[in-house]
Amino acid sequence: MHIPDGYLGPATCGVFYAIMLPIWGLASNTVKKTLKARQVPLLAIGAAFSFVIMMLNVPIPGGTTGHAVGAVLVAILLGPWAACIAVTVALVVQALLFGDGGITAIGANCFNMAFIEVFAGYYLYRVISGSSPITSNRRVIAAGIAGYVALNIAAFTTAVMFGIQPLLHTTPQGQALYCPYGLNVAIPAMVGGHMLIFGWVEAVVTALVVKYLQKQDPSLLAAGEEVQHEDHG
Amino acid sequence: MARVNNFIERSLVGALSFLKEGIFADEFAARHGFLQSLAPQIKAITTLVFIILVLFAKSIFFIACLYLQCLLLALLSKVRLGFFLKRTWIFMPLFALFIAVPAIFSVFTPGEPLLHFEVIGFTFIITRQGILGAGLFISRVITSVSYATLLSLTTKHFVLLRVLRVFKIPQVFVMVIGMCYRYIYLFMEVIENTYIAIKSRVGVRVRYAQGQHIVAWNIAQLWQRSYQLNEDVYKAMLSRGYSGEPVILNDFKTNKRDWFWLCYTLTLAIVAFYFTYWMR
Repeated sequence: MHIPDGYLGPATCGVFYAIMLPIWGLASNTVKKTLKARQVPLLAIGAAFSFVIMMLNVPIPGGTTGHAVGAVLVAILLGPWAACIAVTVALVVQALLFGDGGITAIGANCFNMAFIEVFAGYYLYRVISGSSPITSNRRVIAAGIAGYVALNIAAFTTAVMFGIQPLLHTTPQGQALYCPYGLNVAIPAMVGGHMLIFGWVEAVVTALVVKYLQKQDPSLLAAGEEVQHEDHG
Repeated sequence: MARVNNFIERSLVGALSFLKEGIFADEFAARHGFLQSLAPQIKAITTLVFIILVLFAKSIFFIACLYLQCLLLALLSKVRLGFFLKRTWIFMPLFALFIAVPAIFSVFTPGEPLLHFEVIGFTFIITRQGILGAGLFISRVITSVSYATLLSLTTKHFVLLRVLRVFKIPQVFVMVIGMCYRYIYLFMEVIENTYIAIKSRVGVRVRYAQGQHIVAWNIAQLWQRSYQLNEDVYKAMLSRGYSGEPVILNDFKTNKRDWFWLCYTLTLAIVAFYFTYWMR
């Protein structure tokens, strides 16, 4: 899901930086209003948490492993705006220090994982959960579905970014300058893999973590919703 | 049936390699080489300019020149070439190569045929456009990855994160990024200890469903601990004078060498843009 440098052309990279700038600004202002001063370290903790989730290998049938992105989980725990900042920070640290995801593609990666996945997942979770109690099974199922669907939406937007490159950047002789595959190849390749494997990893991890937190400390699940209520209030 | 599942090992290896990254970065950043002698903000800006140049370039030859310059910079910065090549070629460029190979065939990139062969009745045609496109794609990825890696190898990580403010990123982001970096180390240590404990109790023979429960339990535990940590960290911040607004010290100094390097980079960028876009 992390797009490296060189896969997207300058126009795509520039457009997604331009789209993300106001979103980051809005996220920063919203979080300043809703998070109490004593919760500021929580943003950094959320970002580190998001980073670490991406490093944990999850076993999948067949003996191999995959990893979850955890963006929906962080959104459920912190609220979507704080999660947007937390996942952005995790992606920036990965790109700058560990070469995971490109520096020129930070805008595009953040659009997919810190915006699309976070907001789609969070609101899907809220809609499916409805007004059910914080410890209900419905919320576990909602978290799983939200994790699965949001990851696949993010995979789709990533695939579209890849797939439009031959349309935007091809020489008159037909030579691709960036990602060489069109939408007809990029979308099935990206979305197929996520629908069949990685989406399920995300769903299982998101649902199980919510289930564990319901048992151990339900107040942690309520905290994310309180932040969002304060924002709407 | 229970089967050997290596997710514990892989996570442990991931955690250890992460901790090693920090040690490597500190070791290389402490050497007396060319890039280490530059002011961090100049080094970050010039590296970004090189990565942007690679992004805009349309000629494999020009990208190859930038790549050679990157290798030369690595040598001048006392980074072992073998180590640097191993580090930059493994994974990302190899993955790009894996992605690019099908694109050389006419089914994905139609064009002037260069070579054709038959495999079990199917005819495969390699096209000139396919080869050039794949070559450009791989060279772009490897060169960008090399510059980004060189920057992170020759700059202490916490310094590199502080440099972000040069790009007018709001201080709250810079502060959160700096704090996040420290927490990552703490969390990796927690994960490493927990996984070693799990491994010593249950071994590596775990059903995949049980393994998924172990990972989820770990994540939930980590969040619970993190949330409790928040209060302690806030009190520590207050005791050090935090008043609600982050303050970041500005201690980056520049010298003539920094400005010379910046001028060289910007001149190269202007010339490259002129020949790539305006001289056509």
